[in-house]
Amino acid sequence: MGRLILKGVSRKFNGLLAVSGVNIEVAEGEFVCLLGPSGCGKTTLLRMAAGLDAPTEGELLLDDRKIEGVNNECGFVFQEYVLFPWRTVKGNIEFGPEMKGIKEDERERIAQHYIDLVGLKGFENHYPHELSGGMKQRVGIARAYANSPKLMLMDEPFGALDAQTRNLMQGELLRIWEKEHISALFVTHSVDEAVYLADRVVVMSARPGTVKEIFKIDLPRPRVRTSPEANAMRDAILKCLGAEIQRAKGEGDISR
Amino acid sequence: MKNDKERNGLLINVLSLIGFIIIWHVLIILAREQIFNVPFMRLKDVPTPLETWYALVGSMFTRAYGPGLTYGIIDHVEASLVRVIQGGAIAFIIGVPVGIGIGYSRLIHNILNPIIEIVRNMPPMAWIPLAIFILVSGGSIFIVFIGVVFPIILNTIYGVRSTDARLIDAARTLGASRAQIIGKVLIPSAFPSIIAGLRIGFGVGWMAIVAAEMVIRSPVGLGYFIWNMGDLGRYAEMVAGMIVIGVIGYIMNISILILQKRVIKWAD
Repeated sequence: MGRLILKGVSRKFNGLLAVSGVNIEVAEGEFVCLLGPSGCGKTTLLRMAAGLDAPTEGELLLDDRKIEGVNNECGFVFQEYVLFPWRTVKGNIEFGPEMKGIKEDERERIAQHYIDLVGLKGFENHYPHELSGGMKQRVGIARAYANSPKLMLMDEPFGALDAQTRNLMQGELLRIWEKEHISALFVTHSVDEAVYLADRVVVMSARPGTVKEIFKIDLPRPRVRTSPEANAMRDAILKCLGAEIQRAKGEGDISR
Repeated sequence: MKNDKERNGLLINVLSLIGFIIIWHVLIILAREQIFNVPFMRLKDVPTPLETWYALVGSMFTRAYGPGLTYGIIDHVEASLVRVIQGGAIAFIIGVPVGIGIGYSRLIHNILNPIIEIVRNMPPMAWIPLAIFILVSGGSIFIVFIGVVFPIILNTIYGVRSTDARLIDAARTLGASRAQIIGKVLIPSAFPSIIAGLRIGFGVGWMAIVAAEMVIRSPVGLGYFIWNMGDLGRYAEMVAGMIVIGVIGYIMNISILILQKRVIKWAD
């Protein structure tokens, strides 16, 4: 359960090709990072996997079923958290179960489980504006997990955090992922983050985004960020990515 | 530090009010003593602050006090407030769903917008003759409704439209249906804006009620009271009534602001 397949996926925006013929597979329980220069369509791919957007060509399959329309078997984690500001921590985490019509006491049990899991005990009744960035993203992650997804889609979830919180949250995410073991597709800009987190890293080319190379990271977890193996891996990925960043820059417009 | 500044501010507020009352008093005494008169004004007929105060106290609770004073100011305040609350409540019940509909659906927008854009530019007072003509009773309530409903509709539309699109995406990935998106995302997100509309609406409604009561001539109501006192030449009572109108409007505004802060705990 939780196998995502992208088959020849292309997406045009106003006639402009954003992603072109992308083939990616996320195996059951696997952690895959999508890495690429700005504007290569990483977020677009993620939105298509969530059913928030549809491919112009090709198809996406989750457990062999075509993704059509919004796919609520996916948990989506946004870069800017996107929490409901009028709901407390608990209210945010309960949102998915509430939409499904799950009874209140059961909902509370689920929420409490994930509140404990992400380490927000004691903050149940806080509103998002009372939380730090790292805590907000803990809520974002818990909210996605509480909807019992088959697949987690994460769009640079730690991109807005400071470096220290970022490292901490990466460790936390792995801890949760190892517990829940739900497949994950994780978009990032950071090679360091990808090497620390992923089973496989998919490097994408500049626009139109295609899969350039896939790196398998066969290092045992918890990983040491500065180990020779990790450094070698980072080096290889950076080289591969560097050329694409140059291309993206050469094109002039790297804004999207 | 901050407390000092606040106390200073309050002190200036009070001094300014006292200063205004003194200037008012002096101008009228000067006019009455024929020392100085503002050109083109009959200031000597205007009551002094003290006369106004006595008129206010004297007509506050009175029940039978000569012609036109069958009711005390308290009764007039009550009558006007009840009308504003009734008209405002109807406007809220109709305005919020209409605003949500227009904000959410392009079709509803296209259907209703032309009508709303024209009708909302007719001042509530322009409706008074029609209200007298077609309504058997409740004319003043209707005028209030006209005054309150448009600020509520417009603010609701604005609130719905300015909902963060990503919040809707988040709700959709969490399995929210169309109805759930409206009920659980758009309405809460628009809520502060709706309350702001209510506040603006009640301001307009309060002005509308006074005008409506003057023309529609209900036997009780603040608008009727000041018009009638003017007719009878009881200017002190008239000015007292005007001040009451101002103070009540101010209190209404502040009350909704406090309500807003209480209800919307989640705002920064």
